[in-house]
Amino acid sequence: MKPILLQGHERSITQIKYNRDGDLLFSCAKDQVVNVWYSLNGERLGSYNGHTGAVWCVDVDWDTKKVLTGAADNTCRLWDCETGKKTNVFDTKSAVRTCGFDFSGNIIMFSTDKQMGYDCLIHLFDMRDSHQITQNEPYLTIPCKDSKVTSAVWGSLGEYIVVGLENGQLLQYSKKSGEILMQTKEHIKQVNDLQTSQDLTMVITASKDTTAKLFDIESLDLLKTYKTERPVNSAAISPIQNHVVLGGGQEAMDVTTTSTRIGKFEARSVCLIMFLCMSLV
Amino acid sequence: MHGEGKTGNFGVICVGLMEGCLLICRLFSSFVHLLNLFLSPTPVVTPKVRPAPPATAPRKDVVKDGTLKKVVEFVESEDGKKMKITRTYKIEKRKASKAVARRKNWKKFGNAEFDAPGPNVATTTVSDDVLMTFITNKEDVESQQEEDPMAKLRGQKMVQCRICKGDHWTTKCPYKDTLGPMQKELADQLGLTSVDNEGDATSSPAAAAAAAVKSGKYVPPVLRDGGTRRGESMATSRRDDNATIRVTNLSEDTRESDLQELFRPFGSIARIYLAKDKITGQSKGFAFISFHRREDAARAIAGVSGFGYDHLILNVEWAKPSTN
Repeated sequence: MKPILLQGHERSITQIKYNRDGDLLFSCAKDQVVNVWYSLNGERLGSYNGHTGAVWCVDVDWDTKKVLTGAADNTCRLWDCETGKKTNVFDTKSAVRTCGFDFSGNIIMFSTDKQMGYDCLIHLFDMRDSHQITQNEPYLTIPCKDSKVTSAVWGSLGEYIVVGLENGQLLQYSKKSGEILMQTKEHIKQVNDLQTSQDLTMVITASKDTTAKLFDIESLDLLKTYKTERPVNSAAISPIQNHVVLGGGQEAMDVTTTSTRIGKFEARSVCLIMFLCMSLV
Repeated sequence: MHGEGKTGNFGVICVGLMEGCLLICRLFSSFVHLLNLFLSPTPVVTPKVRPAPPATAPRKDVVKDGTLKKVVEFVESEDGKKMKITRTYKIEKRKASKAVARRKNWKKFGNAEFDAPGPNVATTTVSDDVLMTFITNKEDVESQQEEDPMAKLRGQKMVQCRICKGDHWTTKCPYKDTLGPMQKELADQLGLTSVDNEGDATSSPAAAAAAAVKSGKYVPPVLRDGGTRRGESMATSRRDDNATIRVTNLSEDTRESDLQELFRPFGSIARIYLAKDKITGQSKGFAFISFHRREDAARAIAGVSGFGYDHLILNVEWAKPSTN
């Protein structure tokens, strides 16, 4: 297999996402740039410039009209996908860690970090109400006091959001009332990433505790556990095959603080990156 | 770039879709990545094949031949050499949904605003081959292949296990890690049973104790091995360095209890020292076993040296006396 190498970032990439048709690929990185690429040939379509901090998350709505990005410059920005022009800026008190459009593209969600004395908050905006957008007044703000939201996705039918926390918990928050519908704690360390299956029936978590777990999105029942020997940074469910893909490895930052023998780091010049493909069933 | 896709010399494709083509089909065909099906001709870079035109106006020849398109370019490199670059593209038509086709014609923006049509080599290159290794599938195939010849050999007694004399390879022996049958054989050779090798084999209490141990009954301490020995005190039962052996090439997962199990049949053990990593708590791969009697230690060396334990061949020898 000959991969296409996309070199549009100068610092580490934080998230990548395809649009619904799969023809565009969005990537964001700590170098404050968000790029969009044609997935077929790797040609860069453009970049969304304007953030002044590390961009943590990116999302695109279902018809590839709008792009939402959240960054450590305490803003969440809305862009026009085609022209790369900024359409709105949501100012927040702390860095924006996760963001997402619901399936209809009408409701947007983003979560802010617990830092500088501010609690971790999840904001929900209705895009149809221009007042909310222009005045930066979310129709719902959900505080998350215990821990920090590290990953979040919209659940099925846009009724709730599924949130992974720094303490390993997995929660479901209602879109309407903001109350916790379901919760489970299967991981002992931070949930690094959450991704849903294509039909939004399952969600897979990737955790720092070196496991990835598959849950039913509705009941948050644990369906399967995938054990590895390194922290899992991301996990995804294949839309066409009975596979999950896990990616991870020792974070470069932690290499110096982890014993060489514990960290599975070994005496190699770069930290080991693993890619595992495991059977779903 | 209308109505054609190209594979460049980098194996990169750029696809443009003609509106007309879509008006006819208007099909939402699935978007399949066919990169590996494409031709990816290697770049032909020949320095100064024929006199090149002045560098100020780079010449570009485009020759179209059916589905192939050839672009010949003359450029001057940094060190003043003139180069001829030939790029061969394969043109391919591709159907896509209307929305995808429309997006294909979007104007570039942001950092890519001034990029020419097609992939920019500064940001998009084809990297080295990625070799996929399918671990589980491969193992399944191998184990199947291994099992078949074994099944044939089983009836013919061609293979004999060194440990239990069964018709399997020694490495596959179920008693491999327990050392049971081997130890029995060893004891037979020495004319001793594995249990009553401590103390006088002819004395009746020891024999009774041995029988009791075999039957699993409780044995009072006075009847146990060495119970009849007198005149011993804590001070005199000092560890004898002469009866200490060094075991090396142990696996990382070895624990003291494993060593206890492995060496107990040879005689009573005074002390087991397993070198462990301070941080991980894993074995460092060597251990010292002190027996009460030097003969036991000698038999342990004879019995366990070269013994396969947890995929590793153990190396057992006399421990060198410590310097302090």
